[in-house]
Amino acid sequence: MEKGLTVRKIVIAGVLGAVAILLGVTRLGFIPVPTAAGNATIMHVPAVIGGIVQGPVVGLIIGLIFGVSSFLNATIPLFKDPLVAILPRLFIGVTAYLTYAGFKRVSEFAAIGVAGFVGSITNTILVLTMAVIRGYLAPGVAVTVAVTNGLPEAVVSVIVTLAVVVSWKKLGNAGKKKSKISGDF
Amino acid sequence: MAAHEFELTRNITIGQYLPTGSFIHRIDPRIKIVAFTVLVAAIAVCDTYAGNIIALSFVCLLFRLSRIPVGYGLSGVKPAMPFIVILAVLQLLFYGEVASGGTVYLKYGVIIITSESIRLVIVSALRFIEIIFVSSVLTLSTSTTQLTHGMASLLKPLKHVKFPVHELSLIITIAIRFVPTFAMEMEKMMKAQASRGAQFGQSAWWKIVERTKDMFPLIIPLFHVAMNRAEDLVLAMEARCYTPGGERTSYRKLRARPGDYLVLLFCLLFSLFLIWFPY
Repeated sequence: MEKGLTVRKIVIAGVLGAVAILLGVTRLGFIPVPTAAGNATIMHVPAVIGGIVQGPVVGLIIGLIFGVSSFLNATIPLFKDPLVAILPRLFIGVTAYLTYAGFKRVSEFAAIGVAGFVGSITNTILVLTMAVIRGYLAPGVAVTVAVTNGLPEAVVSVIVTLAVVVSWKKLGNAGKKKSKISGDF
Repeated sequence: MAAHEFELTRNITIGQYLPTGSFIHRIDPRIKIVAFTVLVAAIAVCDTYAGNIIALSFVCLLFRLSRIPVGYGLSGVKPAMPFIVILAVLQLLFYGEVASGGTVYLKYGVIIITSESIRLVIVSALRFIEIIFVSSVLTLSTSTTQLTHGMASLLKPLKHVKFPVHELSLIITIAIRFVPTFAMEMEKMMKAQASRGAQFGQSAWWKIVERTKDMFPLIIPLFHVAMNRAEDLVLAMEARCYTPGGERTSYRKLRARPGDYLVLLFCLLFSLFLIWFPY
């Protein structure tokens, strides 16, 4: 048993981090929702997927990459604050992993779906709470944003997470996973 | 649909490197990172006209010294332009009360324009441009490999508290390395889907559900490509006996020369000068 980071964990964290950065810089990761906080985003989905397939540490690292890239790309003052842009994002992958681990015994599919939902909601709630604490948004506005941005984000997150993780897991079961050295999840 | 909508790689300046081999290119990456941090901090603090004009000319001089066309820096400013303008207008109209003091030029209801608020607007726009310029000089004159090696070397002391410095820097290297690759894959997928009649970003902006649905045929294959690439890379690394956490030496050792320390000293002095510049 290898302890700490295996090669697979390192590589998957890096590759999904690249997807998170790409979704941000190409603006493909944004859903145009006309609200005060601007666009809804799906850039947290790589962190959710990383958390589910490779555990909380990988989820946390992808969250960190997502946070830093959103901090560097930010054009509105709200996300130029590292406490809003980076800190809450660390927890996305962790809560997604915990949810997945908890529900796995009930049903694999349900667990993945619920983890996608919880991961997304974690992002919405923590970012908005931080925004209110740091005084960027009034509590009332934050609740509106949570509904108008958070819900579409969560729905998209569930769909993408399910589609990707289910097929990735199948890929593993079918014996297509090329390397046999790193421990299976 | 205009052709430029497919050109994702054009907008990505991350990881771009211009090997002109100038004196700035040859500075030790660790020194460059520290000097960059110091300069950005100084620019963020400096809030006078003269100080910012000096900083701006210094940054332009950096472009000359590194033999990089200033156009590369400007292309980084261009996408941010609308935001700079909107921010400037908002600051100009509503910051009069916060930045009180100075001469009042215009007072109309809540709109107060003072010499102080005008200064705030101009200085923050200049600052933004300066920071974009300095960071473009850093990334254009240092390859991503050098940057991550430099970062890892600077973070080395953290190893004593069991922080996986090497692994983290490897993850970041992989992430940065794969962004352009995935951008190209994405372009291919967009063209493949479009040639079969798919339309992206064509529906009106208020049809949120439609626009979201448009994304799925791109996002989901993107994750698949990413996961498959990851498996290939895992195989390649394990075939070469890569062991996480193993002690490793590097082929190229980072060595700072006396000249590099002089550059750092100069940047420090310049930053102090910017911070305490009286005008």
